[in-house]
Formats: sequence, C-alpha cells, structure tokens
Amino acid sequence: MVPGLFFLGGPTSPFITTLIVSLRTGGDVLDRDNTNRKPLAMGKGFSQRSQSSETLLEDSPEQNIFRVKRKAFTDPNVYKAEMSQIFERCWLYLCHESQVSGHGDYISTKMGTHSVVVIRGADDKINCFYDSCPHRGSKLTSRVSGTAKTITCRYHGWCFNADGHCTLVRGGSEAYRQPDLDRIGTDLRPISKFGSYKGFLFGSLDPEAPDLEEYIGGAAPFIDLLADQGPDGLEVLRGESRYIMEANWKLQTENSTDGYHVATVHRNFATAVGYRETLLPDTGNVLSKTEASRILNLEKIGSGGYDVGNGHMINWADRGNPEAGPLWSQRDVLLERFSSGKVRWMLERGRTVTLFPNLLLNDVASTCIRVWRPLAPNLTEIETWCIAPKGEQPDERRARIRKYEDFFFPSSLAVPDDVRAMEGAHIGSEAYDGGWNDLALGAKTLIEGADDAARELDVRPVNSNPGREVETPFFAFWREWAERVLK
Amino acid sequence: MTSLLEEASHLLHQEAWFLDNRAWNDWLTLYTDDCIFWAPAMVGDENWTDNPDNDVSLIYMDRPGLEARIFRIEGQDSYATHPLPHTSHLVTNILVQGDAEDKIDVSAAWMVRSYSRAHGSLIRGGLYHYVIRKTLPGLKILKKKIFVHDDKIVGPIDIYNI
Repeated sequence: MVPGLFFLGGPTSPFITTLIVSLRTGGDVLDRDNTNRKPLAMGKGFSQRSQSSETLLEDSPEQNIFRVKRKAFTDPNVYKAEMSQIFERCWLYLCHESQVSGHGDYISTKMGTHSVVVIRGADDKINCFYDSCPHRGSKLTSRVSGTAKTITCRYHGWCFNADGHCTLVRGGSEAYRQPDLDRIGTDLRPISKFGSYKGFLFGSLDPEAPDLEEYIGGAAPFIDLLADQGPDGLEVLRGESRYIMEANWKLQTENSTDGYHVATVHRNFATAVGYRETLLPDTGNVLSKTEASRILNLEKIGSGGYDVGNGHMINWADRGNPEAGPLWSQRDVLLERFSSGKVRWMLERGRTVTLFPNLLLNDVASTCIRVWRPLAPNLTEIETWCIAPKGEQPDERRARIRKYEDFFFPSSLAVPDDVRAMEGAHIGSEAYDGGWNDLALGAKTLIEGADDAARELDVRPVNSNPGREVETPFFAFWREWAERVLK
Repeated sequence: MTSLLEEASHLLHQEAWFLDNRAWNDWLTLYTDDCIFWAPAMVGDENWTDNPDNDVSLIYMDRPGLEARIFRIEGQDSYATHPLPHTSHLVTNILVQGDAEDKIDVSAAWMVRSYSRAHGSLIRGGLYHYVIRKTLPGLKILKKKIFVHDDKIVGPIDIYNI
C-alpha cells in the first residue's frame, strides 16, 4: 500500500491557531479548519481504498491542547515517512572527532538505512562517505571502527585512500577505457553535508539542509556547557555499548528529556546506590558521592525544561552534590574563562540536551553521548559512549567512569529500567493506538521565552518551564516532527 | 583427595547454581570481601577494555556494588528486573591456568540461556577469567572477569545473566 502524506488545516504557526496534521493511508481528507481546501497530491486509486483519515497531532495553544495520537509510534507508514523525511534530511550525529584522531582512523555507522564511514584523511581532514564501492556497491568496511590508510574493497579489490580517492582499479588499464572510468566516477561518494560542532561530527544526506550551526541553533549554548569543559577539548573513552530496544525510536527521544519518569523508574536506582553508599567506608572522598538524594527529594531542587527551537529540548535540575562532580576541581579555571552564570550551569546543574531527532548529550552524574537509530517501527538500536575532558585527573576520571557505569549502559542500574518502560509504552500503545498522549503536564507553569535560569546563561528559549516534572518541552520535538513528516 | 581443578570446578558450578536459583546471599558468600566483579566493554570488533580506571566497563563492581545489585533485585522496584527471567548457566571448559601459593587463575567458557515473557528466550555467551583465593574454609572468588561476546545486547545485563 502506498502511503499518502497530507497536511490538513490552517496556518502553520502553532502559536497562532490550531494545527491539525495527519498522515493518512487513503480516502478523502476531512479538513476541519478549511472545508474548501483540497488534499494535497492525492494519488489516483486512493479513493477506492478509502480509509478514515486520522489526526496524529493536535496542537491548539488557545485551547491549551497538545496531544499526540499513539499511532504515531506504531504505524508502519509513519515510520516509512520518518525514514525519508527525517533520517534522510536532518543533520544526524555520527561520532566524536576524538574517535578518529589519526590518519586512516574510521568509524562505520548508519544514517537511517544508509551505511556511511567517517574517516580522517592524510591531510588531517575528516570526511564522511557512503560506505559503498563505486564499482558494484559493496560495503567497504567490515568493522565498526578501525584504521585504514587504504580501504580495499573485499569483493573486486578496488582501493581508496583515506581521502576517498580511488588509488587502484584492479586490472583497470587493460580492460577499462578511460571515458568509461570517468563516467563511473571511481572516487568514494561523500554524503551531502558533513560538519563539526566543537568536535561533535554530524552529517546530512540532504543537499538543501541548512548549515550545521543554523540547525543546532538554540541548543548551541547548552552543548557548549559540555564542549567547553576541557581546555584541550573532550575525548570519547574506550568502551562501547550497543543495545536493542523493542520499541519505537521516538520513545527514546521523549525519555531523554523526560523528568517525570525519574522519580518512578529510577527510584530503585537511587535507593540502590544510596544503600551502597552506606556500605562504603567513609574515606572523605567526595567524588564517590552520588545523586541518590536528589532523585529521592525532587521537590527541594531547582529544575526546568526548555524548547530551544528546531525540535531540540533541554531538561535540567540542580545537582544534589555539585562538589561530587568530576569537574568541580576546575571551578576556578573555568571562572577565568567563562561567565559565572555559565560556570554555574556547567557545575551546579545537571542537563540533558536532546537534539532532534536522535542524539542525547547528558551531563548529570556523569557524561554520556547516546544515539538511537530506528531499525523498524518497534525496534531501535541504541549506542552510548562516555565523553570526558582530556587530561582530567585520574581520580576524577575514575569517578566519572564508575558513575557512568551506574547509569548509562544496558548493564547499569538505570538504563534497563528505562528500556523496559519504553518497551511497555510501545506495547501499550499498540494495544490501543487510537489513544492520545496528552502533553498537558506542566501547562500551569509554562512561560513564553526565558525563565530566570535561562537568563543566567543569556539564552532565550522558545519557551521555558521551571518545573522538572513537565512534558511541555516535548512540544519542540513534536512540532518539528510534524513539520517534517506530516506536511 | 580432590584435585585443585575439581575444587575450582565445584566453586564455579556452585556459583552458577546459586545464581540460577536466586540464592543471592549464598552466592555472595563465594566472594571475598575485597572482590572485584568485572565485565569489560567492547572496543571495536576484536578488543575489550582493559583499564577500568580509564576505560568504561559494562560492570566494574566491588562487594558493596554486588550487594547493591542484590538490594535492587530483592526490592522488586526495578521494572527491568521484576519479574526476573529464569536462567540456566552452562559453565564448561574449566581449566586451572595458574597456581600460586595463595591463589589460582581459572578460565572457563559460559553460556546463559534466559527466559522471560518480555524478551522470550535469549542466549548469551563468553568467557570467564577467575582469580580465586585459597582460604582456610576453601576457595573464594577474588576477581571474576566476564567477557560478554554479544555486541548488540537485547534485554538487561545483570549479575544473574552473564
């Protein structure tokens, strides 16, 4: 069945009027706001296979309604549209520059359904190519990462240097005419757009994509809170994890910025590490203190959430023990380089930065990069890495790693519970996909523009919500999603 | 008289039996007070992390860490851990690789089959490297290093299923 994608309804500004957007599988579209408007690009034969059109997102600020139909998580046609409209168009996170630090170092990864390879050339420039031989399309890398100053295609032996230039067409001069090789194009094909934001490498398959800085937009000052922590930059630590979640990828996007689940899903994390603290001899090592008390006493801390535009979301909370953070010893050095407001944000507030569509930069008890890639409507692959300032002190590095292991791996005391919660949400959404996820939590405290904490960092979010258990930051994601998928 | 290999094999099989029967506190008695329970993480396709102070591990825990795991499992408040999957550890190819005055090195291969309604039947496998201390009551685990061969991990990884 061919899916039809239509936009229904009135003007596009979600702040001005009701926006009702749909994805439909056929039949005439009910246009609630404008009865004269014709459905866009209706294919011949759709009316014969008439099915009721379904509204997937209702965004009506003047009625205080923002809700998402659960079918948005479960429908295979939505998934197909996301793969082309989001994963072939958006800037997607690929890896950190420290993972390809030398000539020929490469990371093999995926953008949507497309295999790509990020590799550092002889001239120190990092490129990203489709992982596909120009000859017959064979995948070129057979490892997730490695070092190859020459990439040799395992099928017919064509060779490429780390800059992507073809260095050998085996038997080429005897059998190929030069004009044919010119037509074939023997060099590796770069993806449309590739860029670095302070060492975080992103790519886009869309030649029309805006510049990376423009795409990151209002999330940049919050990424800087992590990226600017080390005077010599950051590095991804050795030790990888890939795990499978049997749930839709957007549940991970929401979970990454969801403060509401922390006190329920992670209550057992907090009690377990709190219990562990009682078993440890008191060595006076403040670095071993955890955030357990904060999780169990949510009401005593400052917190909030922001829509920073372009689908990006921020969630933050004051740290329970800021001096237990591995960066605390650098406070004076940081104050020489940055404003006191920025340093306060770096050291005293835990933050999650969720970039549209599938990246989380988490700096709470430890520092984590998490990427989630859809494999099917109900299947997602998740990868995480620990990132840290280069040259940090050994005891700080050790404390950072132990806290990372406590929370961020599928072997930790927290991530398995998140995964299970999201899998449960997916199964329950399938049970009744006509239900709404009504994102009304926090509507009472929503503020247009900046709150006090945002002003401290000199940023102006689209909206702020000075409460931790709020769902209004999700508006950012879903508005961007609707803009890309449903129109 | 039992050989060192038989004694070590008994310890490893006993550990597997306690875990598969959820006898957590009996399981913990097999470990020394200064024990380390370590599952390194993968690096690329071929390697595992080897410096827990500078690399990330899947699990790197001392005895209080193990007790916290048991606390979490018994608390029944962890969505991922309750209900627990049913596990069967297959521990085999046990070899004594080194014999010093106070401890021995032992290697083994493992497979754990687990079943839960949530994830169905899962099979994982890898290798164990043990450092086992000779104590008066008998052998006790000083260090257990678990190489998990599975790269794309389905379901949680915890003390009971690796």
